[in-house]
Amino acid sequence: MFAFSPEIPAKVVEAYVGEYASGKSELSINRALDLKIQGRVVTLVDLDTVEPFYTLRPIKKMLEEKGLTVIGYSRENSFGLGETGAMLNPAARWALWREGDIILDIGYGVFGAQTLNLVEGANESAELRVIAVINYTRPMTDSPERITEYISQLGRVDAIVANTHLGNQTTTDIIKKGTQEILAVARKLNIPVDYLAVDENMRDLIEQEEFEVPVKFIHRYMPQALW
Amino acid sequence: MENVAPATPKSWYLPSKPHKFCPGCGHGIVLKALGEVIDELEIQDKTIFGCDIGCSLLSWDFFACDSTQTHHGRTTPVMVGIKRARPELITVGYMGDGGGYSIGSQHLLNAAVRNEKVTLILVNNTNYGMTGGQMAPTTLPGQKTETSPFGRDPELTGYPTKGPEFVAQLTPDNAYVARATVSKYKQLKRFLRNALRNQIEGNGFSFVEVLSTCPTNWRTNAQQTWHFLEDEMEKYFPVGELKSPFGKGEK
Amino acid sequence: MQKVITETKKAFMTGNETAAWAALVSGADVMFGYPITPQNEIMHYWTRLAPQYDRSFLQTEDEISAGFTVCGAVQSGKKAFTATAGPGNVLMQEPFGMAEGMRLPLVAIIQQRGGPSSGTVVYSQQEVTLTTFGGNGEGYRIVYSTSTHQEIYDYIIKGFNTAWKYRFPTFILGDGYQAKMREPLEMYDPAERGIKMVDTYPLIGLEGSIAASQRDPQHLCNIYSLEEELYEVVMKYSAEFEAISPELVEYEEKSCDDAEIIVVSHGVVSRAADDAVKALRAQGIKVGYFRPITLRPYPQKQLREAIAKSGAKKLLVAESAYGQLYRLTRQEIYGETVNIETLFMPGVGIVDYDIINKVKSIL
Repeated sequence: MFAFSPEIPAKVVEAYVGEYASGKSELSINRALDLKIQGRVVTLVDLDTVEPFYTLRPIKKMLEEKGLTVIGYSRENSFGLGETGAMLNPAARWALWREGDIILDIGYGVFGAQTLNLVEGANESAELRVIAVINYTRPMTDSPERITEYISQLGRVDAIVANTHLGNQTTTDIIKKGTQEILAVARKLNIPVDYLAVDENMRDLIEQEEFEVPVKFIHRYMPQALW
Repeated sequence: MENVAPATPKSWYLPSKPHKFCPGCGHGIVLKALGEVIDELEIQDKTIFGCDIGCSLLSWDFFACDSTQTHHGRTTPVMVGIKRARPELITVGYMGDGGGYSIGSQHLLNAAVRNEKVTLILVNNTNYGMTGGQMAPTTLPGQKTETSPFGRDPELTGYPTKGPEFVAQLTPDNAYVARATVSKYKQLKRFLRNALRNQIEGNGFSFVEVLSTCPTNWRTNAQQTWHFLEDEMEKYFPVGELKSPFGKGEK
Repeated sequence: MQKVITETKKAFMTGNETAAWAALVSGADVMFGYPITPQNEIMHYWTRLAPQYDRSFLQTEDEISAGFTVCGAVQSGKKAFTATAGPGNVLMQEPFGMAEGMRLPLVAIIQQRGGPSSGTVVYSQQEVTLTTFGGNGEGYRIVYSTSTHQEIYDYIIKGFNTAWKYRFPTFILGDGYQAKMREPLEMYDPAERGIKMVDTYPLIGLEGSIAASQRDPQHLCNIYSLEEELYEVVMKYSAEFEAISPELVEYEEKSCDDAEIIVVSHGVVSRAADDAVKALRAQGIKVGYFRPITLRPYPQKQLREAIAKSGAKKLLVAESAYGQLYRLTRQEIYGETVNIETLFMPGVGIVDYDIINKVKSIL
């Protein structure tokens, strides 16, 4: 039941939602770059409206050099924005009108996936998939009950990505335990788990056979920002 | 002939008497009314009295109730903090017109909007008494003070703040808002009692402005003092209940 | 009070979330706050979590009010705290002063941002002077400068105890980077570590009837009629602060025994200093690391000892400010003849290479 289709549809539209610091930005970037490497046209949209200054901005330029179109304010033109709660880049509102794949990095906040209401056409989009990123070591999602409650608050969720890690203290046991719990909840809620995200530095320690969902090794870009 | 001592509220703190307010000052009248109301409502043991900076500060040890001081204008948030932390206590903030309407106006305004379950008593004597008689938000047009030596000119400094009127606009129906005067003692007491009752019953924000006298800074004798209060202040600042959960309100 | 952490566990979080959880496990009853970046998620997480554990929150009209409501709540015997940054820290100096003057166990978490004025919302170490000595008094404050999420957690727990034990306002000084950074830490229940939370007690609203003459009324006071009255109070506070300072002082010292240069830094910059010292040592350069954890009281005796035992010729003060730690350090070790070199990077981060390069330039 954990569907993972290797075939990529004509147009990919994915919105990553989840807890603060759950790994939304990291997985959005990785996903966007994966698609880019396949020669596709990809736009990455920063939709963090609660604390916009701290999101993709510091690495925007680097991502653009890799061929992504990034919608979001860069450090240079983000004057004073950290003070204002909800700053939406006008280009983000019309992001779905663009050609090619669209990866939306939704910020955290009490509104969850409702942030997508800010994007024209999101609710009508046939391609849109809302993907919840869950890290089992985050206290707000550290038990089956809490994950269930959390996902129910998010609104629309089409798939889950299991992203359990403890930064540089991650062990295979932590990943296994977290993934098991997340899979169990997903099964109960009848939401597919797209894949298990694992830091590429742990490539040698993780066997695909041990997991019932595909393992995707990711590169960490965010630590390049100082926070 | 026997000495006849004036009746003293039980909730007064006797070691601090006689009090230190100027002769003819209205604070003594307000605090007597408040003391009698505290006695009648039997809330001495759970009343927290907080006073502002200014002449109201002279009341800091006036009552045999737990009391605290703070900074100019900040009595409102201190009372809010206490009430939020210990809702069973009855918090009474006592301040002047400078503390309430000027430096602490944002606290008054927002406590009213949030309908905080505290009682605030604001004594309006149309000037900053303790600092030497400067212009206050409540100084009447034409009134001389040390910082309006030619009389307050509304063109330059606006018109006097009408506190209860704006508080009434900001609060829901279960708030209590009134303006009293020290010239009508029984009414003053009634309003203070309603303001405390409203908090005791857990209804909402309670605010009483009391028009008061300041002969020292007005430089007035007894007759002139009373004239200014009754014929000038009470005309400009209408006395009555602006909002009361206890019936239609007394005009 | 319901236990928040039933078993010790590792968690991956930002510093602001860590602060909210730490306040919860410390048994804080109520938070008063006002939005300002970069401390907002402390409020966001506190407001989400507080109702689950029967705690409360009020968003006040400004930082002045947030500080004074904390003053009121702690007077009534409840464990209360606030969090702020930058211009909010400036506004809170007024209630912090009340807490100093009336010896109130106020706890505040400061996430420094750039200054002066609105500065940046991002990061700095420019609130050192303000947090240690702001206000119209003598700086009777206890200030812990954290450098990791684990420390944010540990020192918030400790900070509540310090505040209630000694009744001096207590600060956990972080910064925007620590606020937003993500890293793992161990979350635990203080009791599990043998940490007993200091009992709170009211200063007003006490047990016992005044009307029935069971006790005297409390008349708390922060203004005095005579110069001499205030003098006595200030002298008493000073003596008490100085007496407890030795037991409060905390610091970290590494590789100082034979150091020719000692790098002095605090907070998040000390992480870079630690890395730099290790790298320089690997290259055979004799450099040491000294980090005051308490900025107030300052570990001046320990720093003097480090200078004496190493015979270091130079200190290098590195900070994301233009000389705030430098001035503090200089006044605290007055009389030492060691030269003080500086690496001032106000409002921007310092990485190990910055320190390595600077050290090499002053060898």
